[in-house]
Amino acid sequence: MFSNGFFVLVKRELLRFMRLWKQTVMPGLISSGLYILVFGHALGARIGEIKDISYMNYIIPGLVMMSVINHAYQNSSSSLMQAKFLKFLDDLLITPLSGLEISMAYIIGATCRGLINGIMVILLSMLLTNFSIDNILLTCLYLITVSWAFGAMGVIVGIYAKTWDHIGMFTTFVFMPLSMLGGVFWSIEMLPEFWQTVSMFNPLYWMINGLRYATLGVGDTSQEISLIISILFAITFTAIASIMFSRGYRIKS
Amino acid sequence: MFESAIKIEKLTKIYDGGFKALNAIDLVIPKGSFFGLLGPNGAGKTTTIGILTGLVNLTSGTATAMGKNVVREFREARLLMGLSPQELNFDVFFTIRQVLILQAGYYGLNKKRATERTDLILQQFGLTEKAHNTARELSGGMKRRVQIAKALVHDPPIIILDEPTAGVDIELRHMLWNYLRELNREGKTILLTTHYIEEAEALCDKVAIIDQGKIVTEGSPQELISKLGTGSIEIKLHDIPSELNIEPWEFSRIDNVIHIPTSNPEKDMPKIINILTKLNLGIEEVKICKSSLEDVFLELTGRSILEDTMESKNV
Repeated sequence: MFSNGFFVLVKRELLRFMRLWKQTVMPGLISSGLYILVFGHALGARIGEIKDISYMNYIIPGLVMMSVINHAYQNSSSSLMQAKFLKFLDDLLITPLSGLEISMAYIIGATCRGLINGIMVILLSMLLTNFSIDNILLTCLYLITVSWAFGAMGVIVGIYAKTWDHIGMFTTFVFMPLSMLGGVFWSIEMLPEFWQTVSMFNPLYWMINGLRYATLGVGDTSQEISLIISILFAITFTAIASIMFSRGYRIKS
Repeated sequence: MFESAIKIEKLTKIYDGGFKALNAIDLVIPKGSFFGLLGPNGAGKTTTIGILTGLVNLTSGTATAMGKNVVREFREARLLMGLSPQELNFDVFFTIRQVLILQAGYYGLNKKRATERTDLILQQFGLTEKAHNTARELSGGMKRRVQIAKALVHDPPIIILDEPTAGVDIELRHMLWNYLRELNREGKTILLTTHYIEEAEALCDKVAIIDQGKIVTEGSPQELISKLGTGSIEIKLHDIPSELNIEPWEFSRIDNVIHIPTSNPEKDMPKIINILTKLNLGIEEVKICKSSLEDVFLELTGRSILEDTMESKNV
């Protein structure tokens, strides 16, 4: 199913972002560190505890998930956009690699970057606070499935985008609002009833609370449904990305 | 064994918007040949190549490489072909050596073999010293060499070159010509698209002329020139009698020069000189104007092959 060429492309994707670590790893670490300092230390004392967890620790899973989502999406969408923009995507399209292999290689590259960023933010949190992980296996499962889902989403947007603005617009108008309304900084119980209902339709809300449960042992949502939603999104986006690549949507004439 | 390296049957491509770039073309490119696909910009050359290599989705018809269908058996077919596109493109995150090793890897070569092939190709193209530079740090000519090197790195039996010498200097053009001749002698099938007539005449043993999505003629350059060319002989005479007759040839005259159109000037010249000598006409100067594939194209389409090079977009 997967040829040797596929593994070479995966390696290429990993090398690309690791060489650019100042752009691909450091920013997530710095912004998460600032969130912890500003929101956790400055505001945390005033807010107190949520579900018997300090506010600072409560927001960490959300910050981890924001970093994971953002970096996984950025990796595949920008890598693909660069390949389209500089036209070296043609060098891949003429090879024996199938659409599934090419899309999967981009997704795996994105998943690794999301995962690395997530782990780095967790390690930083452990360094700056008394944050610890309740269930390491479940935490890893969430980090991987959510990275995978948004890596695949990045491939879809990367294929669809005609300009760099399209990539940025998705971050600004979709991810940012969904992240902020997804319970990164608060529990759903702190919101008015209307927004509680709205949040139920936000997939990020389920993903963030899933990771919150895996790390802290508390959450607003059903653990099983959170995991199922994360896996379903990963599968659905992967299927869409692979079909788009295989059919050459917007990348072949 | 397949006699044809590439076989195209009733290949049609209609782009979104309804533009018919290819209109049911048939084409057979023999194994081991140096085949030229000639035509002006927009004729359908790049579309044909795009379909063969997987960059363009065909509308109808079939295309095979060494008997492998380029759609249904795309993995096998693409392994057999290497493409150098007209437009330069590079993975700017890696050095050219790394780019070539990766490219070979995408075709399934293991790391050892990919590295060996890369170093050999870099040496053959005089790029060894630049191996650790990125494409951005190279001159235009060097970039073109790397572009062609990418098509060769997995050692395919069919090499497809889309306008490989567009914009390169004469020295590099001749270096590339020699290299391509050598590859062809080694048994590689080469499909070349160009609108440089002299390039096709110098390299190709067979050409097809494509215009507005249709193959208008094909054959060896000499066959086409003999059949459709319009060469001529110009003879300057000391004096021209008012009722000069050199039948079966017709001629026109300007001052003391007679202009005789002929499809085969070399063959006809001795006979014409013989007639003029018998008439005791003093011959001062003889000039042969040989026909070219450009004349063939003009004869078939009524247009110059270079007419719209500057304004038309390649499709």
